[in-house]
Amino acid sequence: MNDRITLSRRGFLAGTTVIGGAALLSACVGTGGAAGGGGASGALTLQSSLSDPAPKAALASVVKSYKGKVTLNTVAIEQFRAQLSTYLTSSAPPDVLTWYAGSVANDYASKDLLLDVSDLWKSGGACANFPPALKALSTAASGKQIFVPTNYYWWGIFHKKSAFAEWGITQPKTWDEFLAVCDKLKSKGISPLTMGTGSTPWVASGWFDYLDLRVNGATFHRELLAGKHSFDSTEVRNVMKHYAEILPFIDPNAPSYSWQEAVTPLVQNKSAMYLIGAFVTQSVPTEQVDDIDFFSVPTIDSSIPSAEEAPTDGYFASAKTGNKKGTLDLLAYLAAPKTQQDFIATSKSSNLPTSPDVNTSGFSPLVQKGVKLLAETKEITQFFNRDSSDALQTTADTALTKFMAQPGDVSSILKDWQTAAEKVWKA
Amino acid sequence: MTQTALLAARSQRAPGAKRPKGRSRLARVPRIIWVFLLLPLAAELALVFWPALNSFSLSMTTWNGVGPAVNVGFKNYQDLLTDPIYQTALINNVIWVVGFGGASVIIGLALAVALNRPRRGIGIYRSVIYLPMVLSLAVTGIFWRVLYQPDGTLNLRLEAIGLGFLKHQWLADPNTALYAVLIAAVWRQVGYIMVLYLAGLKGVDPALEEAASVDGATAWQRFWRIVMPQLSGVNSIVFAVTVIDSLRTFDIVWAMTRGGPYNSTQLLSTYMFQESFTVLNLGYGSAIAVTIFLLAIVFIITYLVRATREES
Repeated sequence: MNDRITLSRRGFLAGTTVIGGAALLSACVGTGGAAGGGGASGALTLQSSLSDPAPKAALASVVKSYKGKVTLNTVAIEQFRAQLSTYLTSSAPPDVLTWYAGSVANDYASKDLLLDVSDLWKSGGACANFPPALKALSTAASGKQIFVPTNYYWWGIFHKKSAFAEWGITQPKTWDEFLAVCDKLKSKGISPLTMGTGSTPWVASGWFDYLDLRVNGATFHRELLAGKHSFDSTEVRNVMKHYAEILPFIDPNAPSYSWQEAVTPLVQNKSAMYLIGAFVTQSVPTEQVDDIDFFSVPTIDSSIPSAEEAPTDGYFASAKTGNKKGTLDLLAYLAAPKTQQDFIATSKSSNLPTSPDVNTSGFSPLVQKGVKLLAETKEITQFFNRDSSDALQTTADTALTKFMAQPGDVSSILKDWQTAAEKVWKA
Repeated sequence: MTQTALLAARSQRAPGAKRPKGRSRLARVPRIIWVFLLLPLAAELALVFWPALNSFSLSMTTWNGVGPAVNVGFKNYQDLLTDPIYQTALINNVIWVVGFGGASVIIGLALAVALNRPRRGIGIYRSVIYLPMVLSLAVTGIFWRVLYQPDGTLNLRLEAIGLGFLKHQWLADPNTALYAVLIAAVWRQVGYIMVLYLAGLKGVDPALEEAASVDGATAWQRFWRIVMPQLSGVNSIVFAVTVIDSLRTFDIVWAMTRGGPYNSTQLLSTYMFQESFTVLNLGYGSAIAVTIFLLAIVFIITYLVRATREES
């Protein structure tokens, strides 16, 4: 009796071990396979950071119309950023990934992790007709193209046409006119500028970038972000002087809001203007989108060439893809005019197509105005983090949000900023 | 699993037989038990200890996740000494351990004592106080962020009861932000501590208390001299749980402030996350992680030493 029980218990234990072991093994296999896939014959993997509902659905529908088989993995952007290097260095990386043009892509390219997509940029290729500025942005130090830009957007001071009419205000052209408008609005009890630096402190860099572009110009701005000038310099101090001029006009609740929450006062006519990217239209109620207009940040020094920020989004591919031909074909499909048009239409953003062959006549007047703005400007930059690095962005977040709270401490803030930035450049 | 193993091991022993010693005793443990002991050990080694050791070696390098890591010796640790954000985070962590630990234990214990006696509707009170524990920390964080908004419930209530001058941007002011987050975290933790103490109070012998009361001890004396000593077992559990919970706090701060405004609510854990995964300074982030580990181990070793001493 006793023996029988022992035996059956043993049998049970052995059985569980086998099952447990098998589960463990299959779990290992699972983790190995989940990272990538895409053998020469299998489906291609597209790793996407577009986790907002509308762009996510737009990419899914675009991918569905592709002739080949594609597995779309959407990952929340924070996690995507943190794991990007893991994706690219894994033994079975995703074939195609969404990301930004600029410093990060170039950094990966210098480590030979990105697929050379120069074929797409040669005449007859999908990107052949793209503007030269975009080609320069997509070219790595080696001279090869490693990026396929598919859409970009502009920054500007957004406002409601109906509200401006109600308050008797027209779009200012110069800095003094802009300050006068702010004064007038404030005297009416309206907060002139809305902003959200609470959980999205990077928004504070928007004004910094633009004021630096207007006061010192694009060349200085690029060099500053590359570490060739000091943040504790006369030029930057000058930028902060202008920044200090607008601080009294910023909604006092700005430090508590995120950029999305800061849209609410604008929509409710409690706030008048908002310096932000064109993606803001996603957060405006549908019936008000047609009421939204924008103007470029006013000129401060007319001797400085005009410049605008136009962050560029798109795709790069892993150098280790098992199916180079299929990957290039998918990239060509994603860059094609029809695909760009479909994506922009479904994603509800006000992004601009990178392909000149997209028929923009159907786009809203706002988007057409954006196209014109970027076509006419002399210089294009992207945004603080895209022109430098995410590490430098955190130093800017600290310095600028602190400056907004304690503008009197500007000297020590700039000194600390420079110290923190030097650490980043040296790393 | 260990329990099954012990049971099985016990069943092998013939009743009344002399206790086997040393090797012979080990040899009598059936092979399958070894499998069950060694498999989890292997998993633990591979999935916990090996990565932990890796982060020690990583903390001696500078690495952004791509390419080879460059060895820099103790440079990351030297940099920590002069890093103003690290110092803020360290001080905040001390405030956090003391504030979070102290407040949740005091309030939790008070609630447990108050809700220990059977009364009508006591179950409802207990469940309501325990309920926040069911929510994830991220949800708690978002919920409290809404309460603390400039036009949020807290400010509106203050205004309604004539305390409008106290209206404040709770999470945007570096002087209040950390404490605002702390309150949210304590709100969630007290229910847990209360349940632990309620369980402990069930084991307190009521006869002792009655005897003391007959002898003329006041309620205060009865609590400190009769009840508390009997709670010492629960106390050490609560102490360990609280210290570990406060050192690993991350989610609620990240959900509410992300360490801002300008790093004033940064804890060691959030700063470690930011350095490692936002900025991709994996070497520096690992150095911060190692210091968190060392702090935790100091507390845990003192706790274990005390616990074993008390047992013997």
